[in-house]
Amino acid sequence: MALLRFNHVSKLYSGAPALDDVSLDVERGQFVVLVGRSGCGKSTLLNVAGAMDFPTSGEVVLDGVVTSSLSETALTLLRRGTVGFVFQSFQLLPSLSVLENVELPLLLARRPRASETALDRLRQVEMEDYGARMPYQLSGGQMQRVAIARALVHSPALLLADEPTGNLDSTTGDVILKLLQNIARKQQTTILMATHSVEAAEIADVVVRLRDGRVQEVLEPASGP
Amino acid sequence: MAYQKIFYRLILRPLWRERLRSALMVATVALGVAVVLAIELAGEAAAGSFRSSVETLAGSGDFEVTATGGVPAEVLARLVLLPHAFKLRPRIEDYAVIAASNRVVPFLGVDMLADAGANPGNSGADEFQRGGSIWVGKDAGWKPGSRVRLTVNDGSADYTVRGVIEGAGEAIITDLAPAARLLGRGSNLDRILIDVPPSRPADQWESILRAALPDGMTLAPRGARTEENRRMLAAFRWNLRVLSYIALLVGAFLIYNTISVSVVRRREEIGVLRALGATRLSVLGAFLSEAACLGLAGGIAGVALGRVMATACLRLVAATVDSLYVSSTPAPIALTWAVAVAGIAIGVLVSVVSALPPALEASRVVPVEAMARGRRDHDVHMHRWRDLALGAALAVAAGLASRQPPVAGKPLFGYLAVLLLIGGAVLATPALVSVLSRATATAAGRIFGVEAMLASRSLAGSLRRTAVLVGALSTAIAMLSAVGIMVGSFRQTVLLWMEDRLRADLYLRPAGPAGADRHPTLAPGTAARLQRIPEVAAVDQFRAYEISYNGLPATLGGSDARIAGRYGQRPFLSGARPADVFAQLPGRDHVIVSEPFANKHGVKRGDTLELPLGGRRIHFRVIEIYGDYSNERGYIIMDRGTLLKYLPDPSPSNVAVYLRPGANLEQGRRAVENALAGRKVMVFTNRSLRKEAIRIFDRTFAITYALEAVAVFVAIMGVAGALLALVIDRRREFGLLRFLGASTGQIRRIILFEAGLLGLLAEIAGVALGYLLSLLLIYVINRQSFGWTIEFHWPVTVLLSALSIVYAATVLAALYPSQVATQLVPIEVIHED
Repeated sequence: MALLRFNHVSKLYSGAPALDDVSLDVERGQFVVLVGRSGCGKSTLLNVAGAMDFPTSGEVVLDGVVTSSLSETALTLLRRGTVGFVFQSFQLLPSLSVLENVELPLLLARRPRASETALDRLRQVEMEDYGARMPYQLSGGQMQRVAIARALVHSPALLLADEPTGNLDSTTGDVILKLLQNIARKQQTTILMATHSVEAAEIADVVVRLRDGRVQEVLEPASGP
Repeated sequence: MAYQKIFYRLILRPLWRERLRSALMVATVALGVAVVLAIELAGEAAAGSFRSSVETLAGSGDFEVTATGGVPAEVLARLVLLPHAFKLRPRIEDYAVIAASNRVVPFLGVDMLADAGANPGNSGADEFQRGGSIWVGKDAGWKPGSRVRLTVNDGSADYTVRGVIEGAGEAIITDLAPAARLLGRGSNLDRILIDVPPSRPADQWESILRAALPDGMTLAPRGARTEENRRMLAAFRWNLRVLSYIALLVGAFLIYNTISVSVVRRREEIGVLRALGATRLSVLGAFLSEAACLGLAGGIAGVALGRVMATACLRLVAATVDSLYVSSTPAPIALTWAVAVAGIAIGVLVSVVSALPPALEASRVVPVEAMARGRRDHDVHMHRWRDLALGAALAVAAGLASRQPPVAGKPLFGYLAVLLLIGGAVLATPALVSVLSRATATAAGRIFGVEAMLASRSLAGSLRRTAVLVGALSTAIAMLSAVGIMVGSFRQTVLLWMEDRLRADLYLRPAGPAGADRHPTLAPGTAARLQRIPEVAAVDQFRAYEISYNGLPATLGGSDARIAGRYGQRPFLSGARPADVFAQLPGRDHVIVSEPFANKHGVKRGDTLELPLGGRRIHFRVIEIYGDYSNERGYIIMDRGTLLKYLPDPSPSNVAVYLRPGANLEQGRRAVENALAGRKVMVFTNRSLRKEAIRIFDRTFAITYALEAVAVFVAIMGVAGALLALVIDRRREFGLLRFLGASTGQIRRIILFEAGLLGLLAEIAGVALGYLLSLLLIYVINRQSFGWTIEFHWPVTVLLSALSIVYAATVLAALYPSQVATQLVPIEVIHED
């Protein structure tokens, strides 16, 4: 069974469709990339996937649960357990150190051994020596690595990444993409990533092209000839 | 036109969009302005004219003759015989209580035949001389023929209203002879008003009059008494005014914070504007205009609110003026256009001045600069130790200022020390916030969870904003604590003083109106009657007269020194025992003076005072100074025998009765009341007198507490506004936390914890600063203003209650901002930048 299913999902903002009858299955462990022009609905699709927003019609089924049927408390628990987010502009809290940023989701979820787990995730993104630093002391690439470690700290089944390389130069962007690819492979974490990057499309299991809120095509480059 | 458009779009529109926050800021300015205006209006109405209410019908004469104990009628005869066309108006002046309403009104004896103003009906002499006839001012509300019961001194009788006099307020007027009979003045007058012809300059007339008057008479230009009152009340009004500025100062902090936040939030916008051609001056102007708008709206609302608050203040101020200073009837509150415009100008000025530093910072933003939001916080963080050192330097300067003497009777250096200390504390705040919030972050996280950790980190991270908020709230708390400690110490000092000083079992005074400048008398035989009661061991008669010393009002008193020496317990300021000191008073021209008198006039032990008494100028030696808290005018006390030698009126103003050891208090009291049956005398037990004294004390300081409460309220509103700004400013962060799995409850708790930590930091800083300020209030400002020595006491219960209320209010102020934070839509705010 797919980890994430979009079932005829439409989303209207002030009457204008951001998503229009999207149906899509994302399997466990898949690295799925969403491409398309600005305003085509990529970010909206990520938001409804992570239960941060809800379809106007249709349904999103995440890990067997229809997100729009959940209470506020259940949604919070779903986010804490199943979903991790990575953003284009890193979104690290400036008043917390690197290690504290990474352990934050565990602390919010009141999980034990937060520091050890956070340090372990920092090790995975090769940032274990930067735990005591403050975000303003890091480069863009380093900040995004920390953001990825934070998104993975609670071992989510689904990692949602919105233009994670958008604020980085191409070399650093490539490093981040490789990192995401490794994570997807090694940890069997499902990744749904919105991007403009051509390189990203090349390493993905599935590329979904969106246009005007609709799925224009679905490609599977890795399994291609 | 273009500037107006930019101003509308970039300043007015954002203010309108954040209406609640703008309204809170306007309200803080309004309250600050309202308090200042209310105190000014109430002070002016309660004591603005500084005219005693017995000035009714006194006209605008040129000179007046007075004397301690009264002006003998022969003096009037001497003046009448002078070969000049003087217009002489002899007067007897006292007060009466209207039995029906218990209201105190002036009771005047005037020459009704000669004084046209007092005789509108041209009544005949027989009618004036008849006892039981009175004429009343129009404001008293009686008609001719009305029967009125009045209490004068310790007697009560019915009177018939014979006529109504225009311009006499609510005074009760009779002819001289019946007034003298009723008040026991004998042939003495209280005052002679003199109108001189314009044919010579005033100083020549003054020489002529002085030559004609016997020694011991005081000749002064009319209005001298008003001027004395004005000087006496100056310190009281000054201190009230200074207290009223605190709310405004707290408001200024908050305006500074609002404009700072506004600048930080719009930094990039400013950069773009500069790139598009806006000059530094126009950016500066825009932010100052924003402050001016808040100030203007706050000023207008403040004037309206101030007028309403003035009515409430007037009651308290008038009661204090009446019980501590001078009998005066409050005038109606007069809100003139000039005062209103001044109030609005204060609002605008304070806002613009407070906004100047952040507005200047905004004008220095370089075009298209996208400076990190944390930069200013980083700067503040970097400079916190330097600022702490500067703060310490200001504290040292405050210490030096506190050691300077008063300037023209005003503790100007004391006020300067207060300002320097507040400035020092504000500069030390970033270091304090930084150290405490970091120190508590880990512990708070462990004890209260991640929300507390995030809250304390956020406060430490936004050091600039946090420091300003803590500065504003802690200043208000400091003033509340300082005034609380000062008043609490004063109260405790007075309680201890009463314990030692009030040794008699019963105290008697006429039911007639008493006050700081009113000393109604008991019948001369009162003491003799009391001494015949078996339960009574001793009776001490005290007689008080109003005098003027060195141009300031004071009270001259005579007490039975032997009895005072036998029962007195409280040592004099030098440490001398009462028995030793009082033994030196009888039979000699020796006096003791109260501490306020000594401080006010710079009198020391061994000095000589020259007092005009009984037609002579007598020199008295000051043998001791005693602590006294009963009034601020100051006392000169001599033995009763000495006083009677110069002013032979045996009527006492009040009497202290000592019962024999083992006598039953209630029985003794009943026996005293029976002995004085038929007289209107108030009998207090020792306990009830103390209770009454503390009631007056608490009433006196009620306005002080009210002013402090307003300042704290302003600060709490400011905290609410600032937390709202914080939520708006950090909405992306709250959105992110939701993405990271925070529940709405956790978001709410983060903000409540921030408010709680802000409150805690402000209370720590506020109490520390408040303690230092209380030392300045007690040992410098109060001493230099009023001359009282106050022993330091911690009013623990009052202080803890006040701080708990402030703390709870600070946390409650965060409820709405926390509600706003939970309603933010994460996906809408996460991508904003």
